[in-house]
Amino acid sequence: MIDMLEFWRQSLPQLLTGYRLSLLVTGASLFLGIPLGLLLALSLQTRSTWLKLPSLSVVEIGRGASILVLLQFVYFGMPSVGLTFSSFASVTIAFTWCTAAYTSEIIRAGLESVPQGQREAGEALGMTRLDILRIVILPQGLPVSVPALLGFSILMLQASSLAFVVALPELMSKAQLIGSNTFRYMPLFTLTAILYAAVCIPATIVVGFLERRLSRHF
Amino acid sequence: MPEDDALMHILPSQTSSGSQRVMVEVAGLCKDFGAHRVLDNIHLTVDPGEVIAIIGPSGSGKSTLLRCINLLERPSAGAIRVGDVEIDAFRKITRRELLAFRRPIGMVFQSFNLFPHLSVLRNVSIAQERVLKRSREEADAVSRQLLERVGLGSKADQYPARCSGGQQQRIAIARALALEPELMLFDEPTSALDPELGLEVLNVMQELATAGMTMIVVTHEMHFAESVSNRVIIMADGKIIEEGPSVQVMRSPHSERAKQFLGAVLNR
Ligand SMILES: Nc1ncnc2c1ncn2[C@@H]1O[C@H](COP(=O)(O)OP(=O)(O)OP(=O)(O)O)[C@@H](O)[C@H]1O
Ligand SMILES: [Mg+2]
Repeated sequence: MIDMLEFWRQSLPQLLTGYRLSLLVTGASLFLGIPLGLLLALSLQTRSTWLKLPSLSVVEIGRGASILVLLQFVYFGMPSVGLTFSSFASVTIAFTWCTAAYTSEIIRAGLESVPQGQREAGEALGMTRLDILRIVILPQGLPVSVPALLGFSILMLQASSLAFVVALPELMSKAQLIGSNTFRYMPLFTLTAILYAAVCIPATIVVGFLERRLSRHF
Repeated sequence: MPEDDALMHILPSQTSSGSQRVMVEVAGLCKDFGAHRVLDNIHLTVDPGEVIAIIGPSGSGKSTLLRCINLLERPSAGAIRVGDVEIDAFRKITRRELLAFRRPIGMVFQSFNLFPHLSVLRNVSIAQERVLKRSREEADAVSRQLLERVGLGSKADQYPARCSGGQQQRIAIARALALEPELMLFDEPTSALDPELGLEVLNVMQELATAGMTMIVVTHEMHFAESVSNRVIIMADGKIIEEGPSVQVMRSPHSERAKQFLGAVLNR
């Protein structure tokens, strides 16, 4: 037991530098991907085919191709057309794409949950389409999406472990590196799991709290 | 209650230049939903200050007519003029025209449609700020005054969900009035309410009518139709089947179909 704690104490600093990178790459992908998801959701709602078709392809490829394929496509595939990305950039691009694709569906569902009468009330008041969206629809539709978005974010943090395939030194890569030197996989992956859970479990609690808080006035 | 003249000052002046003119003119209006003709060649004119009640069996197209008048539904054929702005079903309507067309029209819905995430005060103020470009202080001052007028001054800082249905509908009326409409459309404003709560709303509407507001009211309230409105229109199957001074239409309609409908609702 003492021995294991000592092992944890020794590996923790390395794991934490990896974890910092995991959180960074996940955060960057969510920060870029969720607003893109909103834009995709909105352009899928318009009647314009010019907006709809490209958006639809982005969403369908993002959801259809597995994230591992996207990642390797960007990292190993793009250089053959002259675009070379660092492993951090590749992971961010692939994860942003995936985030945008999935969250566009989550956000669309949220926006569609706003009753039609709300839009009509805004129209009858003579508000512009942008005002109706900004003042009436988004403030009611986005809160509905927040729990699902947070749930998705937790999944993305866990999925960031896939970045080891492009040699991004995030938490999982670090754990494997330590493991291959010490062969103490059991305590090592226990600690790694604890680290993931230390962020994911509180996040889940926050989701529940937000769900209650945001539904207060309705 | 000295409510009538208090409401006066928020209404457009009845002596302004355009007031002699017919306020609403609907000509040859048709609306199809797919193959289903819901409105069939509707003609209707409304004078400034007139209160019109539209009654008729369920599905006869009353709501659709009202929604066409402020373009929540696009007419399939015909022309509509409200105030100085005219639209024609055969011409493409730009977004700017749409906003200009709706500017003088207020609408009150059966299900209130207040914005649940905004306080009562914000509900009434928001469109004033966005559409009339009033400052927040100005808008809030107008809103408080209007809420006071509909008897809800104390509710300004509540959220709509904390208000009864009757209160919510009066807030919705205040919200529409805040934009100084020249024409108010009401689509069964009391149908979702208990009779008692409906009465609060009908009182506010009666005051508005007395104060000279031009109103088109789709209603099931036969008493309101007979005693408050100047003119009653009976619709059936997408057509106007009877139209005339309220008492005459309600007491001695000409057409068989109208007699049948009135017989059914008045004997309930
Ligand atoms: N968006 C729509 N799509 C298809 N059909 C519609 C639509 N809106 C209304 N209708 C049809 O048009 C007809 C008239 O509907 P409308 O709501 O105008 O009737 P109404 O006179 O207001 O009835 P009620 O008294 O029940 O409110 C109905 O047959 C209805 O089913
Ligand atoms: Mg109706």
